[in-house]
Amino acid sequence: MTETLHNPKPRLTATPGWQLTKYALYALVLCVVLLLLLGFITEKFNVGATSTSAVNFEDNTITLSLTSEPPQMDSTRATDMVSGMLLGHIMEGLIRYGPENEILPGVAESWEMGDLSGTFHLRQDAYWSNGTPVTAHDFVFSWQTALNPATASQYAFVLYPIKNGKAINVGEASVDSLGAKAIDDYTLSIELEQPTPYFIKLLAFFTYLPINKEFYESREGNYGTNAEDMIYNGPFLMSRWVHDKDVRLERNERYWNNSQTNLDAIEFGYITPDPNTALNLFATGKIVLAGLNAENIERALTERWRIETHSDGSVFYLGFNHRAERPTSNLNLRKAIQQVCDPEELVFKVLKTPGNLPGESIFPVWLRGVEGYFRDEFPAPDHKRDVASAHDYMNRALDELGLDEPPSLVFLTGDSAFSSKHAEYYQSMLKEKLGIEIKIDKQIFKQRLAKMTSGEYDIVAAGWGPDYDDVLTFGDLFTSWNANNRGLYKNEELDHQVEIAQQSSDPRTRMEAMDRVQHILYEDAAIIFEYERGSVYVFDDRVKGVTRRSVGTDPDYTQAYINPEVDN
Amino acid sequence: MTELSFKPVATSHEVEQASRPSLSYWQDAGRRLFANVRAMISLFVIVFLLLMAYLGPFIWRVDHTEQHLDKTSQAPWVNRNAILISEDSPWQEVVVAEPTGTHRAPSNIEVVGEARTTSVGLKWDAVPNATAYRIYRHILQPVAGLPLGLPIGETENGTHVSFQDKMDIQQKTYWYSVVALDDEGNEFEEFTSIEVRPRLYITVGEALRLGHITDASNVEPGDTVRLDWHPLGTDYLGRDMLARLIKGAQVSLSIGIVAPLFFIIIGILIGSVSGFFGGVVDSILMRFTDIVIALPFLLFMILFMVWFGVEAGGSGIPAMVVALVLLSWPGVARLVRGEVLQIREHGYVEASRLLGGTNRWLIGRHMIPNTMGVVLVSFTFAVPATIFTEAFLSFIGMGVVPPTPSWGAMCNDGIRTMEKTPHELLFPALFISITVLAFNLLGDGLRDALDARMRARE
Repeated sequence: MTETLHNPKPRLTATPGWQLTKYALYALVLCVVLLLLLGFITEKFNVGATSTSAVNFEDNTITLSLTSEPPQMDSTRATDMVSGMLLGHIMEGLIRYGPENEILPGVAESWEMGDLSGTFHLRQDAYWSNGTPVTAHDFVFSWQTALNPATASQYAFVLYPIKNGKAINVGEASVDSLGAKAIDDYTLSIELEQPTPYFIKLLAFFTYLPINKEFYESREGNYGTNAEDMIYNGPFLMSRWVHDKDVRLERNERYWNNSQTNLDAIEFGYITPDPNTALNLFATGKIVLAGLNAENIERALTERWRIETHSDGSVFYLGFNHRAERPTSNLNLRKAIQQVCDPEELVFKVLKTPGNLPGESIFPVWLRGVEGYFRDEFPAPDHKRDVASAHDYMNRALDELGLDEPPSLVFLTGDSAFSSKHAEYYQSMLKEKLGIEIKIDKQIFKQRLAKMTSGEYDIVAAGWGPDYDDVLTFGDLFTSWNANNRGLYKNEELDHQVEIAQQSSDPRTRMEAMDRVQHILYEDAAIIFEYERGSVYVFDDRVKGVTRRSVGTDPDYTQAYINPEVDN
Repeated sequence: MTELSFKPVATSHEVEQASRPSLSYWQDAGRRLFANVRAMISLFVIVFLLLMAYLGPFIWRVDHTEQHLDKTSQAPWVNRNAILISEDSPWQEVVVAEPTGTHRAPSNIEVVGEARTTSVGLKWDAVPNATAYRIYRHILQPVAGLPLGLPIGETENGTHVSFQDKMDIQQKTYWYSVVALDDEGNEFEEFTSIEVRPRLYITVGEALRLGHITDASNVEPGDTVRLDWHPLGTDYLGRDMLARLIKGAQVSLSIGIVAPLFFIIIGILIGSVSGFFGGVVDSILMRFTDIVIALPFLLFMILFMVWFGVEAGGSGIPAMVVALVLLSWPGVARLVRGEVLQIREHGYVEASRLLGGTNRWLIGRHMIPNTMGVVLVSFTFAVPATIFTEAFLSFIGMGVVPPTPSWGAMCNDGIRTMEKTPHELLFPALFISITVLAFNLLGDGLRDALDARMRARE
């Protein structure tokens, strides 16, 4: 009966396989225990909810996140969207845009604007946050500073419509010769270089904001680097700026229209470029707005959050390198590529987020035309993918280029995950449809611009956002004199049409010229229209009165308020 | 007592036989390795992976660069029975006259034609005073008072009462809701929803082109065809995951084996020379080794890429291999030096020298073969480490260039869609884990098998 004791079978526990299983089991049990424990702790001690909630009823404050830290807040040197958005809240120019992009009086109470000159009458109750009045001198000083070559402002060109603006910026004239003069403290006279029908719309752009000269000089080069190193004339003022951590805007009591401001403070409590982090903050009730991408839309849906779309106004396209030594200078090659591109496929199958529109023209759908929308009045060129005709073009291109097989092309693009997905789509598509080999060159933004300028590419994924609310902000992009025309596209008729639009003050003449431009760009396959960018975001609907725009401050919280009815 | 009693015992040969056959060092090591179940399983896994990488493309003949935009990020288990239809009918906008009445919800909402995974068409009855309609899509049933879901589009104006959705439609249930907008662009409170379950459809022409049917005359609309199978699903551009993993295995495994091979050779040479000669030579070589060990790998990797002049869209793999080889040998060199320092004190080395063995002979015949054990073990550990480095460098975008996949790069792509389509991250991550684990366990087994002291313990 003790037989088994004498002849023990090899014990299962001794084999290596069993040992492994045992360790795996231990690890699993440990994980489960840890998870339960953490769950219990967060539940018990309410770790998730801290004092800074997205909407604070007592303090009349909302909390948001920023995608990046503003490099600095000096309006003459600002370039990025975050700085632009913040400046739109803490500063005010001569005019500002209303909720429907209508022009509202800002610091200027009234104005007379002719073809070549204008006079602006400034309101006498506009004050800086330190109590000094906002005067015409502050505008002249700011514009002169931005144009001064020593400032090296990247956006100085926005001021070129003002007389001598360009000459000052390239160092051919002194800053005093600028065509903007303060007649007295509250009267500003502006002379223009040439008729610029859209000049009034430019005045809301951040480079046109005023800066107080005494204060600017008292900071000895540090203006705009900290919250204390600035004074404000907008609806809000920056009360705290902890670099790389948070920014707090508070109601500016000295703002002339303070009674119209509803919120007491806007807290930009988080700075994170990662959309998933932002969405988690939104999920835990810490911020009011978070952007979505194709991957996390489903989560927003299962949570039944309010999802909204917004068109940011910019247009994306594939730019060709038109330099003679590049194969893409060949019209038939460009036409072949154009014929196999399908913006609908790109938007619906690759981008996969609503809000984006398939690109049909260099002019986005929201631009105003003569009376209604430009694109309703002047339809975009017809385009449909046509592989057969693409092959015809390709054969002609090969003849002209003296090649036996399709050339290999360099596709210059950004370094983000989206950029590479987008580039891979074209890589496979062009290989399959035309046999073109694509080499993807991923570069950071600055390096990409440098390579575009030196011409080391064949195709570039590019985009353009509007600087002001007029067709010309897109229309003059491919003129031979535009510094942003880095592919060196040159078409005399297009140049001529843009000149017409720049100088004429008759809306119909201007819009007809622009209609020619969109067709020339298509017929010449100068660029390939890809999409008009839109974004999807989740939004806390207890906050009302927020304006999303394509041009100017976006999102605009200056008129935002907390809806008292849905207090929970 | 008879004579028989004194008969000699039959000569037993068995006694004289050794209890165990005489085994050389390597035979013995091999025997112990074969007895190690864990190591043997690992060895089979590695052989299987190598076969998959190099023979796989001949069996699984799917192009890893071919994209199918109609089935992006498709999970392996997704239904692939498509219904045949004769022709694609072009989408027709439905435009009606301004209606009269007072109803505020778009009634009679219905699907136009079939609800397909490529497009879903909707139409509904017009609402008086509507300036446009907004169409929402939700994956949950809409509830009054709660958001209706994803705003998928708007119609041009109030007389356009149809909409075609083409945005990334999957084979699952959706609820579409239509709301009218007033002249200020505000939504009416009333909405109408419809439950739609899009299905896979394929036109006869498309099925012929893809080879799913051979003859159009013996099929009828309504028949089902089975579409191509993707055993591991597809990625974000609809490329076959299995084909990409096989191609990725070639990249990952070849780097994982080639780079360690080279740096181990360099390590052996430097280590044995250094250990054998000792003195000044040893000092100089070991200080040089210390310098190389101190060099930051990532920085030098970038420098090599610059130095190699990797052109736009060029692969970073050659630069990566050179960087790995030039920077990873010190560990092996130190190991080999330590072994050689021990071995050179042994009597047989002295004997060999007295018999006229040259330095070259001593190193080649006595030193290096005797260090083979440690070297083999460090090789098996270096392989997974290198695969990991490659995965990491490709993950941060410094390795392979598209469309060439590598396991690390695939993980990088997959991590973005981790929540929605986990298979895109899971499979490449699984392959990395299995490979690394297999090489490590094999290395463990080899170390145990090659360790001469283990013989005594048995």
